[in-house]
Amino acid sequence: MRYLLYRLRRLAIVLGVVTFITFLLVNVLPGDVAYEMAGMDSSEEEVQAIREDLGLDRPVLLRYAEWVGGVFVGDWGTSYINQENVWEAITDRFPVSFELMLLAQIIALSLAIPAGVASAFRPNGRADRIIGSLAFASVSMPSFMTAILLIFIFALGFGWLPATGYEPISEGLWANLRPMILPALSLALVEWTVLMRTLRAEMIAVLQENYIALARAKGMSNMRILLVHALRPSSFSMITLLGLQVARLLGGTIIIEQIFGIPGVGRLLIHAVYTRDFIVIQGCVTFFALAFVTANFLVDIAYAWLDPRVRTGGAHG
Amino acid sequence: MGDIILDVRNQKTAFVTARGMAQAVDGVSFTLERGRTLGVVGESGSGKSVLSRSIMRLLPSNALVPADSRVILNGRDLTRMTETELRRLRGPEVAIIFQDPMTSLNPVLTIGRQITEVLTFHMGLKRRAARDRAIELLRAVGLPQPDVRVDQYPHQLSGGMRQRVAIAIAIACEPDLLIADEPTTALDVTVQAEILDLLQRMVRDRNMAMILITHDMGVVAGRCDDVAVMYAGRIVEKAPVRDLFHHTRMPYTAALLASIPKITDPPHRKLDAIEGRPPDIINPPPGCPFAPRCLRADAGCDAEKPVLAGTSRHQWACLNPLGEEAPA
Ligand SMILES: Nc1ncnc2c1ncn2[C@@H]1O[C@H](COP(=O)(O)OP(=O)(O)OP(=O)(O)O)[C@@H](O)[C@H]1O
Ligand SMILES: [Mg+2]
Repeated sequence: MRYLLYRLRRLAIVLGVVTFITFLLVNVLPGDVAYEMAGMDSSEEEVQAIREDLGLDRPVLLRYAEWVGGVFVGDWGTSYINQENVWEAITDRFPVSFELMLLAQIIALSLAIPAGVASAFRPNGRADRIIGSLAFASVSMPSFMTAILLIFIFALGFGWLPATGYEPISEGLWANLRPMILPALSLALVEWTVLMRTLRAEMIAVLQENYIALARAKGMSNMRILLVHALRPSSFSMITLLGLQVARLLGGTIIIEQIFGIPGVGRLLIHAVYTRDFIVIQGCVTFFALAFVTANFLVDIAYAWLDPRVRTGGAHG
Repeated sequence: MGDIILDVRNQKTAFVTARGMAQAVDGVSFTLERGRTLGVVGESGSGKSVLSRSIMRLLPSNALVPADSRVILNGRDLTRMTETELRRLRGPEVAIIFQDPMTSLNPVLTIGRQITEVLTFHMGLKRRAARDRAIELLRAVGLPQPDVRVDQYPHQLSGGMRQRVAIAIAIACEPDLLIADEPTTALDVTVQAEILDLLQRMVRDRNMAMILITHDMGVVAGRCDDVAVMYAGRIVEKAPVRDLFHHTRMPYTAALLASIPKITDPPHRKLDAIEGRPPDIINPPPGCPFAPRCLRADAGCDAEKPVLAGTSRHQWACLNPLGEEAPA
């Protein structure tokens, strides 16, 4: 319970800092939403009139306070550009982004775990060196480059997967997954390397432990030792990273959604930035921060599952 | 001569290190019969643990063992076996209890699972049967509430309880040879005695052979049949316990015996009573490795490395052994 309160307090601080900074940043950007609304060839007076109309001429702090007050009663505001309710705009699109990130992390993990285990088994062995160079190549390419390369090979070259687009899940699972594979892979090909390296490092240390020697003394096979005895105690850092990576992934999806034409929160945000629709920007950023904190909360739960010492309170008895 | 379980011949184990080759075990030979306990004593770093891992063929990848080293267990040469063959034998024929009970159990697996996996792999027991047998084993090693403990994790147990679990794992498949590497150093005195009693009883009841590694000459006196004294990776004296205590030949053994804690000593006194330090095993001296610390050493000791000599009953490696007049 105390732990929960502690988490909530941290959440509040994170959200406060993040939203305030975004608010300030959006306000120092040249140009504002009033230009956008007034149209291309409107006079300065017209723009000024719109500004006053929206209350944009009032002090930043005051407007920030107003916005926070709104959020507290569930009113995330409405877009200046198309009058869409911000909360609805986000929650409509978030499942798409969420699917993309989830898929990316699943692919990243399913690459990282076998590769990490294989490299840790014989550090500097042949498998380790091959995996190491693959990882190096994979991580040194930014995700948008990977995306373009993947499109080039699998969409334009072989024609196996679509280059862009999105299908709702109502069209069937495969129809929905098919266009998601390349975008998710583009994100995963960057993320897996860090996961793999972390797992590898921790597993090399775990494999030196006495209890691994005992497992070998019991006649257990290498495979069993790696997967049953060593993998779980080696995954703590990797799991932590999985939570922290959500921040990077959120950033990554913004670009990837743009490249692949996926209607997620990332696209909403980009569009809002172009049009200086700062109430939408504000909403998206707040939502991202919430998603990040939630992900790390889930990581803590995963810890308890992985480590019985956390689960049972670590007491003797 | 009884039924020989273990025959170690000229075991040498070296480690490749950044500073050079470390000869941790340097030509050890001995045999062990069923129903007997061999005590292995020696200072820290004398190669006791490396010897036990060499016997089990459980060495890290930087270890080097020459081709003429032999470990023959129940008539079969472990040095000629494949990894798969060795695996079938670890558990049912030879088992080990490690030095540190706090770190030798897997923190993320229940006690029960760590025992049952041995039973299902080696004895082909089904899940339920393995669990029942695990509880039985835990009861046999004197763990209170075995049916509750079986589902607990190592961190929920005290050091003494963990060591009992480690023993339960080691005896799960009724091995012919049990290696106990300082099974009680980390435990308090009363628990030490209990664990050692338990091991002694197991060896007697199941007619196993045991190698009991220890720092403690007192433990050897009470619980072993034979003793091998190790120094710098070699056996420097080996004899039945009585002979070793009453007709000590090797000055190093004498020094060890002199350092047995008396009742009047404070508890947990270590064998630090011997002057000087053990030799560097990477650059060993050309002569007797104990010579620099030995009161009886003369010029010959620094020049020539003594080999194990004597009778098959009592052997020692010394040029100026006790109980003989030193040549004038
Ligand atoms: N993996 C390894 N790599 C390099 N050197 C090693 C390795 N393992 C052991 N050694 C060295 O081998 C020597 C013998 O070590 P060992 O652990 O057998 O001593 P010990 O007699 O068991 O001591 P203790 O009583 O402290 O347990 C030591 O000098 C040690 O540093
Ligand atoms: Mg040791």
